[in-house]
Amino acid sequence: MNIARHVAWSAVRSRAYATAAYVPPASLEGLQRGRAPPPKPKPESPTFYTGRANYYDQLLVLENATKHTRTALQELQLLPLPKFARENLPPLRAVWKNKVDLAELMDANLTTSRYRRFLAQLNQLNDYRRLAEVAGHIELAQRVQRVLDIFERDNKEAILARGKRKPVKFDEFGRSYTIGRRKESTARVWVIPTQPSPEDQLASSSSAPLQAAASSAPAASTQAVGISGFTEGPLSFAPAPVKVTTTNILVNNIPLAEYFPHVSDRERIVRPFRIAGLVGAFNVFALVRGGGSTGQSGALCLGIAKALAAHVPDSEPLLRKAKLLKRDPRMVERKKTGRAKARKAYTWVKR
Amino acid sequence: MAFPTDGSRALKAYGLPTNVLVDYMLLAAPCSVIRQVTVDVLDILDKAASTSSAQTRLAFTGKSGCGKSYLLLQAVQYAVQKDWITLYIPRAINLVNSSTPYVYDPRTQTYGQPAFAQQLLKRFADVNEALIKDMKVQGSYPFEERTIDSTSTLTDLINVGLEYSQQAPTVLNTLLSELAQQTKAPVLLAIDDFQALYNMSLYRDPYYKPVKAYHLSLPRTLLEFASGKQAFKRGAVLGALSMQNTTFRPPLELVEALGLEPAQPSGPYVPREKDLVEYAQGLKNFPVPDQLTVDEAASIFDVWHSAKALHIPRGDETFLSKFTESGGNAREFVKKALLQTVAL
Repeated sequence: MNIARHVAWSAVRSRAYATAAYVPPASLEGLQRGRAPPPKPKPESPTFYTGRANYYDQLLVLENATKHTRTALQELQLLPLPKFARENLPPLRAVWKNKVDLAELMDANLTTSRYRRFLAQLNQLNDYRRLAEVAGHIELAQRVQRVLDIFERDNKEAILARGKRKPVKFDEFGRSYTIGRRKESTARVWVIPTQPSPEDQLASSSSAPLQAAASSAPAASTQAVGISGFTEGPLSFAPAPVKVTTTNILVNNIPLAEYFPHVSDRERIVRPFRIAGLVGAFNVFALVRGGGSTGQSGALCLGIAKALAAHVPDSEPLLRKAKLLKRDPRMVERKKTGRAKARKAYTWVKR
Repeated sequence: MAFPTDGSRALKAYGLPTNVLVDYMLLAAPCSVIRQVTVDVLDILDKAASTSSAQTRLAFTGKSGCGKSYLLLQAVQYAVQKDWITLYIPRAINLVNSSTPYVYDPRTQTYGQPAFAQQLLKRFADVNEALIKDMKVQGSYPFEERTIDSTSTLTDLINVGLEYSQQAPTVLNTLLSELAQQTKAPVLLAIDDFQALYNMSLYRDPYYKPVKAYHLSLPRTLLEFASGKQAFKRGAVLGALSMQNTTFRPPLELVEALGLEPAQPSGPYVPREKDLVEYAQGLKNFPVPDQLTVDEAASIFDVWHSAKALHIPRGDETFLSKFTESGGNAREFVKKALLQTVAL
């Protein structure tokens, strides 16, 4: 066999002098040469030869996308980005699928290292997408987003919204619904603006608009004269009596004064109205459960403060400064072993 | 609005309900605020001046602290000013809470309270002296010590009771029946803590069983006037229920007669005392509103500030927040929101 090869080789090389043994051509006719293997079909994807075809397919898709995006960004002169620009980009907040979900999506086994590599690629593409978005190339960003959407979690919005304060909703009657908590108590508070009674509305609309200062002591008998010595001008007649609406507070369908016999509890509940300057502007209905009187009144106070901040946004900084919008985090401290109560120690004995 | 000083002799003579008394000790001059219900009650009294008291038997009802005792006081003051003969019992609970001596009278088969009766006669005489000066007794009443007949005046009759305490309960009952027959001046019978007369008293009989309130002489008489069994030819009977004392709560019979919502079991299997149902029959419910209006509360705020009795600022924000804290209830507004507050 070697000899045959050698001879063939020397035939091709066609050197004049003989280097190998002479074989007559007639003997070479029946010689069996090496057969070419049967032609196999070319695999669709180059990943066929890898052990994890599905995984590498996906990874290749991503890498291609990254490559194209990079090229596009380089053409648009967005890459490489100077340091100050990179620092001032908005933060990336990505919520990718977890390993199990991604494996299910790809229909492939995923180990941690492969998962991490995949995530690294996703993050890189996400970075380019952010760059495109910030630079104003919305179409490019959207195209990249379409690729990334496949690998994002379904409840992405919910996860990103965690920790953010939800805006207080109003129903069709203009009532707000807020919740306040303190110690072990919870208060569900519905607050609605008060309306002057129909006869008061008529009276206020029919009387001429005057600069009536609401005085605290309108006597039972109405005075008809103004300040003596004035015969004309606004000081010559008494200001029209201002009809004041009052705040009614119902707690578990019981009036406030009946439900909270202690003055301190009542004052704590009315305090948000006083700070915001809205006493008499709103009526309150609350359902309170759990805890004792202090906890329930504290919970009510927080619920009312949140509701007032929602109804009258201008009062929010006032309430915040007064620390009425903060949920008091103090809770009853647990009893510890070796102590009589949370902090109280047993009597120390010398011996 | 201040009570007129010459009319306050009734206040001084008869005394005041406990809750009202505390207010008057803090304020310089006794006063109360005129409300819509005050005007209504005074109108009713005006109409009742010419009719029998059987037609005007009112019971003031309402939440605790809404102003029933004050309203009764205003009615009594008005009656005194209008030259009515008034008999005002500011604390009827003292009749049934075993705080005065009691004596069994075999003739009437009731328990008399001589000390209380004597004191009440004295007060009655102090207030109504001028009105009963010329009234003659219409019946004939032979007492042990003296006989009272048509030659004697009502004052003589009263003096018998003042001199001899053992006759005081009988004298008081006789006096009331005499007043029932005269038509010279209308008579107002005003009782605070009215529901105490419908309860079981704290007295005990010799067998240590509780004595019913209508087995006591004076409460029985008062109940008879309240139920219309006895009536003044001209006058009215006013009673104010008190929701504060939980030992003497309005019983089911009274609650049903006044049309109130029963706080106790009230099904058909709950027994109702026939006597009490009779004594509560025909009483008219006069509800007093739970909330003060803003103007009324502002007047009270003004009065207390003018008396320099408050430590809080005199401003509309303070006033309105205190009004909100008390929910408009008069007693809560004054006692808790104004006097007990520390939040300025």
